[in-house]
Amino acid sequence: MSARPGVVPVDVPWRRETASLGMWIFLATELMFFGVLFLAYAHARIADPEGIATASRLTHAWLGTINTAILLTSSLTMALAVRSGWAGHRTLVIRLLWITAVLGAAFLAVKGAEYALEWRDGLVPGLRFTYAGPERQGVETFFLLYFVMTGVHAVHLTIGVGLVAWLAVRDRDPSHPVRRRETAECLGLYWHFVDCVWIFLYPLIYLVELWR
Amino acid sequence: MNSPPRVRVYILTWVGLMALLAASFTAAHFRLGPANAAVGLAIAAAKVALVGLFFMHLRRASALIAVFAAGALFWIAILFGLSGADYATRSITPAPWSAPDGH
Repeated sequence: MSARPGVVPVDVPWRRETASLGMWIFLATELMFFGVLFLAYAHARIADPEGIATASRLTHAWLGTINTAILLTSSLTMALAVRSGWAGHRTLVIRLLWITAVLGAAFLAVKGAEYALEWRDGLVPGLRFTYAGPERQGVETFFLLYFVMTGVHAVHLTIGVGLVAWLAVRDRDPSHPVRRRETAECLGLYWHFVDCVWIFLYPLIYLVELWR
Repeated sequence: MNSPPRVRVYILTWVGLMALLAASFTAAHFRLGPANAAVGLAIAAAKVALVGLFFMHLRRASALIAVFAAGALFWIAILFGLSGADYATRSITPAPWSAPDGH
C-alpha cells in the first residue's frame, strides 16, 4: 500500500471504477449543457415547423451523412483502443489511437468545408446572413442554433482529438502500463459521448424534410 | 469485468450503427409526415443505446455507474418535461411576465 497519505494506491481494484464513475458524473453535467440547446431547438421547431424545414433543406445532407459515418467509425477505433489496452497490446493501442485522432480531424475538416459553403451562401446569422427567401426568420433561427450546437460539438471534438493524440504519445513510454487503462477508458467515455451528441444532431439538422 | 469483450462484439456494434445510419438516411427520403421526425429520433436513440451498451461498456457496468447514467437521462427528462409543460400551457395559463402573444 502507498506510503504517502492521501495518494490512492495504484493497484486497488476499485480504482478504475472510481475513475469511470467520475467520468460518468462529468458526462451527466455535459448532457445538461447540451440538453438546453436541444430544448431550444425543440421549441424553435414546434413554434415554426415550416421555417425549420426550409432551413434544413439548405444544409448538405450528404456531407452530414458522411461525417456521421466517420464519427461512428472513430468510436469503433476508440473502443478497440481501450480494449487493446485491456488486453495489454501497447502497439495496437497506439495505432488505434492515431487512427481515431485522424478520423476526428477528418470530421472537423468536413465540418469546416460545410461552414465554408454556408458562409458562401450567406447563411451565417449575425455575420453574413443574406437569405431573402420565404421563411427568412425561421431560417435565421435554425442556422443560429445550427452554428451554436455544431460549434460547441466541434470544440468538444477538437479537445478529444488533442487528448487522444496526447495519449498516443504518452503510451509510447513503457513506464505507463497500458493494462491499467483508466485514462484510456475515461477518454473513451468522453469520445463516445461526443459521438452520441452528434448522433442526435444528425436527424435534427439534415433529415427534417429530405423527401421534398 | 476482468477479461475484455471479444473484438467481434465491437465490430458487430459498428455494423449495426452503419446499418441504422443507412436506414435513417433512406427513410428521410420518403414523405411520412410526423413519422419522419419520429423515425429519425428513434433510430438516433437506438444508435446511442448501441454505443452506450457496447462501446461505453454499460452492459457490463456496475450498478453504481448504471444508476448515474440513468440519472443523467432522468434529469434531462425533467428538463424537457417541465419546460414542455410550461410552453404547452402558456396560452391557457399565462405567466405574469408573458409577452402579449403568449410566447
